[in-house]
Amino acid sequence: MYSLKRYLPIIIAICIVSIGALWSIHKKNSKKIKEEKTFDIGTFNRTRGCERLPNFLAKLRVPQPIAIDLSQQNYKGLAFLYGRGLNRAVHLKTWEAFDYFSTYALDPKGNIYLTPMPFVSVNPKTFEFQKNIYFLDTNSGNLSIWLSLDEVKATPNNPFGVIAVVYDCDDSTLWVSAIDESSYDKGRGVIYHIDIASKKILQRVEGVDALSLALLKSSKGKFLLMGDARKSQLLAMEIKESRALANPIKLLELPNTLEHIRKIKVKGENLLELQTIPFSYTLIAQTSSSGDDRKHYRAIWQSGIGFWKIENY
Amino acid sequence: MKRETKISIAILVVGFFAIALYWFSDNKRGYSIEDERLVLPKRGEDDFSSLREVKEYLEDIKEALVKTDGVVPLDSSEIDSKAQEVQEFLLHNRAFLSDTRDAQGRLEHNDMMTIRPAIVSALSSQTKALCQATLCYQAEKYNFVTNTTTRAIVDVKNRKLLELKRFSQMQPDISKRLRNIAKVIALNAPQIKRELGRTPSLKDMSMANVRGSLNNSPCENENHLCVAPTFSYHNKEEALWAIVDLSDLKLVAAKWAGLGKTTTPSCISERSFQNREIMENYCQKDTLYSQDGWSLAYRITGSDGLEIIDATFNGQAVLKSAKIVDWHVAYKAKEGASSLGSSESYVAGRRIEYVKDKNDSFRFGYNDAMGCPMYSTSVVLPFNTPQIESIVKDGKEIGFYILQDYRNPKWPMACNYRYENRFEFYRDGSFRVVGVNIGRGCGENALYRPVMRIDLDLGAESFYKYENGLWQKWLTEQSDFQRDAKEYYKDKYLYKIENQKYGYFIEPNRGEFNDNSRGDNATLFATRFKSGEGDEDLLTLGSCCKLDEDGVERYIDSHESIDNQDIVLWYVPRIQNDARAGHEYCWADTVLEDGKLVVKEYPCIVGPKFVPIQ
Repeated sequence: MYSLKRYLPIIIAICIVSIGALWSIHKKNSKKIKEEKTFDIGTFNRTRGCERLPNFLAKLRVPQPIAIDLSQQNYKGLAFLYGRGLNRAVHLKTWEAFDYFSTYALDPKGNIYLTPMPFVSVNPKTFEFQKNIYFLDTNSGNLSIWLSLDEVKATPNNPFGVIAVVYDCDDSTLWVSAIDESSYDKGRGVIYHIDIASKKILQRVEGVDALSLALLKSSKGKFLLMGDARKSQLLAMEIKESRALANPIKLLELPNTLEHIRKIKVKGENLLELQTIPFSYTLIAQTSSSGDDRKHYRAIWQSGIGFWKIENY
Repeated sequence: MKRETKISIAILVVGFFAIALYWFSDNKRGYSIEDERLVLPKRGEDDFSSLREVKEYLEDIKEALVKTDGVVPLDSSEIDSKAQEVQEFLLHNRAFLSDTRDAQGRLEHNDMMTIRPAIVSALSSQTKALCQATLCYQAEKYNFVTNTTTRAIVDVKNRKLLELKRFSQMQPDISKRLRNIAKVIALNAPQIKRELGRTPSLKDMSMANVRGSLNNSPCENENHLCVAPTFSYHNKEEALWAIVDLSDLKLVAAKWAGLGKTTTPSCISERSFQNREIMENYCQKDTLYSQDGWSLAYRITGSDGLEIIDATFNGQAVLKSAKIVDWHVAYKAKEGASSLGSSESYVAGRRIEYVKDKNDSFRFGYNDAMGCPMYSTSVVLPFNTPQIESIVKDGKEIGFYILQDYRNPKWPMACNYRYENRFEFYRDGSFRVVGVNIGRGCGENALYRPVMRIDLDLGAESFYKYENGLWQKWLTEQSDFQRDAKEYYKDKYLYKIENQKYGYFIEPNRGEFNDNSRGDNATLFATRFKSGEGDEDLLTLGSCCKLDEDGVERYIDSHESIDNQDIVLWYVPRIQNDARAGHEYCWADTVLEDGKLVVKEYPCIVGPKFVPIQ
């Protein structure tokens, strides 16, 4: 009895350390499991947007359907395609002034916000053009620089700058991404949240290379979806009270590591349509005229089992 | 304090310190592509036709072209008796065989891949009802030329074709025979043997990642049929994945990766392998190399191709830098091109520039930058890593060369290009900067101009041209048309560059290097070294299509003194391509040969040789 009492402090110390060790192992593992679990984005469906086509198209009596063509295959800059098989076009020479465009966002008045892109050959103005957001006036059709983000600096080591834009109908703002700062070693892309009326940057989220952007409202809240320029994955950032909560969450990953999500569309109930291109921060990605470099996927969110079903079509 | 209390305190202190260490340590990373180690093949290591299995298969393809409409049948050991009946029936069925010839009626290589009892999910509702009453088999055939899978459903008893579907750009499960051939190629590939340090055996290998049905190909060329046999080493928790191209019957790449479900990439692609290998080892750092008295470094630049830097021969400085900064590509437009009414237009989705020349005809084209496969302005990307090979003459090794291959991903299709940058170093101290063009481009009227920048490291250099029987020194920056030269020193050398102690003759290529070249027809510029004039990556230089300008003219405008200076030489050959049958030059073509598509290459090779002045 005496000897047990004598060693009691040692036994108690061993017990305390053992309990502490077991607790920390359990906590750390459960944290890891939590991190690896597929994020539940909630159920969602296609919602009616607030955007409309530019007024000048109606004045020109251009019949619907109308497609906005930024493919740079037949028209430099911007063109509106219409008619049977979209074989007719509205295109002004002045729309070629800022070279090539990457993505666009329409607002409720029919104004278009455009982001630039470099395309095959580099000329003396190529890098300068990559820092601007461009504006096509709904009434006049005039194309101008809407906002210059002077901190965006495209270079020969990464010729891309401002690359994607989406209009937020809830608060008349733009979500814009730029990827100029990124290098092979590190993604230093930035998401800007910009108030249209004041042109003020409301928020700046660093460390995300978004090649494409889209907004999604689900039963769990509002999310900014982002096609990752560095990996073949779709990311999401929750938006609360007009602010993006940092730390993007991975939603899904596509099978081919060379494919990067270039377009995101909410097509139906728990259904996303994704278009990918091979993207490596060089100018080669845009050279295929046949479009066979582009792949199309359907991503179906199966909320019951928390799983994204991905179909190539 | 009692001894037991001291021990207890020590246990608590050490224990909590260990717990804290564990808590704040990083989790062991899971699968990451960065953990993978890549193995890319060397040139000349891709011929497996001497292997028995491959040889027999090639013979069977030839036989099939004569006997069975180009379709290699499945061996009877691979299928049951009913499947043999189905195969016999299908090999004589006109509908099933209707896609085995091209538009000219030439046979294309096909393989029967599988014949087995029909799977319900593969049947239409109408066929499903029929097949509930009778025995149905499904057969899959693959056309290697068109990358098309044909699936036939056959009523075995009545020998009737119930359903026929073709899946363009899709690939089926492969036959046991092809699976075996893939294994044999992987087992005998020199790259795999080098990686494993021994000849692997069949028991080391699994085909877990053999392609799934109707998925995309992991090959660089996605129209090829590729599979990935794997060598697994469970004790080391890693595996060597090999990508075997069954269309070309060769190993295209391999990589070491971890084991387990999460480490099995759903798609491992040759291109992603290469990009990472090239970026990390050749774009982000210089590689040092020594051989035959030469010591040098090389790297892949962002837009100026492969660059050789700081080359010495037997300890004596020779080169500061040598590279090909650009390929100007100009085409003579056909009648009516000017009616485009614009200075720009598009060919195959690429913006082109139009220039009216002195004869009032139009030239159009591009400036092609070669460079790193990621984070660069390059349009023509490195294919595989830099290769170092021996130069052999009359059976004797006389030096070595470093070569980088650049290709548009879809070469040799129209409007896709392939260039090689090659730097030759000889045991006698001479060296040659070489540009190779292997077509194919957009047309038959192409004029190619590689812009070579060569900065020698002799110090206090002077430059001379040989004319009127004498070496005439150039005192200021200027240019010269080599193509107009009438006389050469010793019938070889047109220029020389030297310092007080040593120097080099410059021997333009006039077809004397036994490489079927039609000569350089170059323009040479000698400029004084200035920072910002090509010492760092140059973006495209000048116009693709103004034939009276090479782009370097801007650097000689001020005609600065170059006597006893650091001189930079710019050498711009001009090459006219040729697509005439039997005269092809700077050209590539894809032809159907023995049932399979074969790329025919017709390279044009240009560049000057620098020979030490004795």
